[in-house]
Amino acid sequence: MREITLSKAVNEAIAEEMRRDPTVFLMGEDVAEAGTPFKVLAGLVEEFGTERVIDTPISEPGFVGLAVGAAMTGTRPIVDLMFGDFIFLVMDQLCNQAAKTHYMSGGKLSVPMVLRTNMGATRRSAAQHSQSLHALVAHIPGLKVAMPSSAYEAKGLMKTAIRDNNPVVIFEDKLMYQDKAPVPEEEYLIPFGVANVKREGTDITLIGTSSMVQVAEAAADILASEGISAEVIDPRTIVPLDEETLIKSVKKTSRAIVIDEGHQSYGVTGEIAARLNEKAFYHLDAPVVRMGAMDVPVPFSPALEDITVPTPEGVAAMARKLCSGEMIHAA
Amino acid sequence: MAKAAKTNTEDYLRMYTQMVRIRAFEDNANQLYLSAKMPGLTHMSSGQEAVAVGICEALTPEDKITSTHRGHGHCVAKGAEFKAMFCELLGKEEGYCRGKGGSMHIADQSNGNLGANAIVGGSMGIATGAALSAKMQKTGAVAVCFFGDGATAQGLWYEVMNMAALWGLPVIYACENNGYSEYTRTDEIAAGSITARAEAFGIESYDLDGQDVLAVNDLTQKLVERCRKGEGPFFMNLKTYRYHGHHVGDINREYYRAKDEESEWKTTRDPITNFGKWLEGEKIATTDELIEINNSVRKEAEEAVAYALEAKYPDVSEVDMHVYVA
Amino acid sequence: MPLDVIMPALGMAQDSGVIVSWLKQPGDAVAEGDALFEVETDKATMEVEAQGKGYLTDVTAAAGESVPVGQVIARISDSAEGSGTAPASASAPASDAKNKASAKPMPEGREVIMPALGMAQDSGLLVSWQVAPGDKVGAEDVLFEVETDKAAMEVPAGFDGYVAALLAEAGEDIPVGGVVAIISTDKPEAPFAQSARSADKPPATPAAAPDQAEATKPAPAKPKPEKPQSAARSDGRILASPKARRLALERGLDLHRLVEVGHPQPFHVRDLEALANLPDATATPAAGAASRRLCARLPAAGFEAFCAWASGTLDIGDTNALLAGFAAACLRTDDSALLVEVETFGTAHAYQDPDRPWLGQAKRQSADTTPALRIRDLRHSALSLVEIGAEDCPVLTLSQRKSSVTVTLECGADQLSAQDAIALLTGFAGRMEQPLRHLL
Repeated sequence: MREITLSKAVNEAIAEEMRRDPTVFLMGEDVAEAGTPFKVLAGLVEEFGTERVIDTPISEPGFVGLAVGAAMTGTRPIVDLMFGDFIFLVMDQLCNQAAKTHYMSGGKLSVPMVLRTNMGATRRSAAQHSQSLHALVAHIPGLKVAMPSSAYEAKGLMKTAIRDNNPVVIFEDKLMYQDKAPVPEEEYLIPFGVANVKREGTDITLIGTSSMVQVAEAAADILASEGISAEVIDPRTIVPLDEETLIKSVKKTSRAIVIDEGHQSYGVTGEIAARLNEKAFYHLDAPVVRMGAMDVPVPFSPALEDITVPTPEGVAAMARKLCSGEMIHAA
Repeated sequence: MAKAAKTNTEDYLRMYTQMVRIRAFEDNANQLYLSAKMPGLTHMSSGQEAVAVGICEALTPEDKITSTHRGHGHCVAKGAEFKAMFCELLGKEEGYCRGKGGSMHIADQSNGNLGANAIVGGSMGIATGAALSAKMQKTGAVAVCFFGDGATAQGLWYEVMNMAALWGLPVIYACENNGYSEYTRTDEIAAGSITARAEAFGIESYDLDGQDVLAVNDLTQKLVERCRKGEGPFFMNLKTYRYHGHHVGDINREYYRAKDEESEWKTTRDPITNFGKWLEGEKIATTDELIEINNSVRKEAEEAVAYALEAKYPDVSEVDMHVYVA
Repeated sequence: MPLDVIMPALGMAQDSGVIVSWLKQPGDAVAEGDALFEVETDKATMEVEAQGKGYLTDVTAAAGESVPVGQVIARISDSAEGSGTAPASASAPASDAKNKASAKPMPEGREVIMPALGMAQDSGLLVSWQVAPGDKVGAEDVLFEVETDKAAMEVPAGFDGYVAALLAEAGEDIPVGGVVAIISTDKPEAPFAQSARSADKPPATPAAAPDQAEATKPAPAKPKPEKPQSAARSDGRILASPKARRLALERGLDLHRLVEVGHPQPFHVRDLEALANLPDATATPAAGAASRRLCARLPAAGFEAFCAWASGTLDIGDTNALLAGFAAACLRTDDSALLVEVETFGTAHAYQDPDRPWLGQAKRQSADTTPALRIRDLRHSALSLVEIGAEDCPVLTLSQRKSSVTVTLECGADQLSAQDAIALLTGFAGRMEQPLRHLL
């Protein structure tokens, strides 16, 4: 199978959906000729024109608000938010307007829009361009949240997102744009709420999101060389969350580590760990451990930044402790 | 008054009736609230009827409006029914939003009302987006964004006006300027001229008397036509007055607004009374006919309230329905 | 000073660039601003200029190669010959650099690691060093003393050579597999000793030296038995995983019994195996109840000769039946039924009244009820001394060292009185020593 970059996969997904459905359009800062700073959308304006690939002023609340209104009235906007950090700017439009419109209207109005943005540290971009803020929007009912872990997921999830009749936020890891993965030429969709068991194992379950799936897989490799069999699961969407697959796995392995690049406190790792605790408690032989980003603003210095995010070695070390029965954080 | 003509008798009487319907709706809502039959909080638009009716009477059901927390008038003016509105206010299953929105979120998409909004200025993006999609889809529809003078302090307005002007979107920003930002005189929080702010974006702007329904309707008709021809956006600064406090329950308000001022607006500038006098003067309707309109509207409102009070609450199983589109 | 030529970061989402072509060749003179090479990043191709003048040297990346951003790919040197050393990668992330920054250079040599010696051991306490840095050592020489589980033992060097470095101090607990010393072939120039807490010791590398001595193999990492973490809590609460609790409940196992035998907490699923293997609780004397242990030693020859004779002359091949018969005869006080169990090589057989039929004719039957006595024949094992504690019935254990057999009787005080215990062991030992007495 051919291999393409995550960037190319997103581009293909959007182009295919824009060809399929004339109501789909793109808007955001520098999405047209510039194709975004990451060049993900390069070439789309040539095919679809500036009427459907719209460059906006640097007015995040403004153009997200426009997208909400446009989505309520017969179109399917894809909004590009240049950095995930800017999500704080659009919170009212996203969380008070887009997320609640369908519910507040008793099901009469809907907001079929996609907000695509990014996440991920270690690009030396410091505290306002490195955050992974998906937990913030995952907290708000009415929004769906997808987190592709490779080019394959990026394309399949994006196409599903565009066809979804709800507001969907997609977080792409900005460090993975140039990462290649096999992506079929034929059309495919990846349904929301269906986790992918990337690797089967018996001793411990490693649940990772986005680039943390790669971290989990690398940790599983380390552990395999030591005779510990790790199962790696990528939930792919955190809203909706495929709880069933996660719980089934943990019932089998009786141990789990949840790895996510958002800040550890009050985040995705805590949420998933809590659900496993509630629904697989009597099958746990060790505490479910959260491994998120450190609870610090992302530092600029590479020497500091690199230690704020989970690593394969760190995950493997924790897995080793859990499998050996060592007490974690014993009082 | 703008013009004297008997050819539009039906339109005039409908405008009068619609204003009376808004006043009747608000009086009943106020009573429901004060008698503790209505949950939550609510904001009366009594006194501002000419703005809602003058504008909405210039629109078709395909044209969109976005409304505010003070939105009952817009909803009625855009064509909503009393029963479903009162049911919504009381959280009943037959409400426009199945009881999930309430007073501050009534939406009536069948008549082009994209919903009231409880965030001040929160709907400015939505209205502008509706105009963007109308332009993209070449539907010819126009969007009207209602907001109060308090909302002119929100940055979102300037972002969306910029885009609307850049892209020539068919949107009319209608500022219901009642002079107060919640519990504060707007001239204490707004610098310079509000109209000049829109003009800075190259948006054609109008100051007008929001108590004169004919003037409002006349200008809106012209601007809507121009919007349909791609000459939008526009801004209207409509001087009006809210008879009640910021919300029902804002009774002791002399610290920010004098009673003399309120009674002067009510006695000399009431949009319904003045338009009624004009209709009589122009021999479009007799006093008795106007009284009959008032009586029948009052009756309709009381019946709707009685119906809503008896109506069924939504089943608890609906609580997690409509979080997502299935 | 030569200037490094690096792969520049040009695109937003770029972490490497492809060198399209070199526009200068090694040895070429270059001036500041000269285009050096063409690079492709994201979607654009651009030329990279020289940042100073000199000669292009030490080119380490060829056209067509993808190079990580920040990596040195050439130098601009003062002479066309260059520096003679390949440029070091500039792309090493800071975290790596941090690990290396403070590292003391490790001497060349074989690594000696903390060996896995005990069953439930994942670290060893270094009690003392028997050598000093710089000492010459032979493979058999004792290098250090280590305490694991309950035993202290001496660890030999394993290789001939010199002690180049001691990487742990006496009193430190070292994980199994951790490197504690380095032995060099040649006399080291600067031998040293340091604490294991120093961050710069080489990591434990299980595959470090294929020819390592047997004793220094790292322990397997597959779920190790955990080290004791805590004794029973004073408040009586048990630390156990939810799954272990659920399975114990489902299987009717009582976790308190693990606490009683001092099994280390917290309990996990694997500890249930130990729990299940504990003797049946109902027949076990309460913890702390007095137990008896008596030993008798006798020459092995008498019983061995008798067995050979019985087998050859009387065609009696079941040694266990003989033992059971001896024991039953010593134990019997009346005519009631007497069940004796004999356990050999881990399997148990029961004999009903083995003293009643003619010598050695008693038939085996399955051992599913608690017998009056159990004989555990461990003569063929390496054990020379047993102290197991009271079980669900009195137990006679046979062990052998060279030509003498030790018979140990263990029982609860409520199972046999002191007199009965003495009589049983005396009688049984006498019969084993002189089997013919039994026939009389």
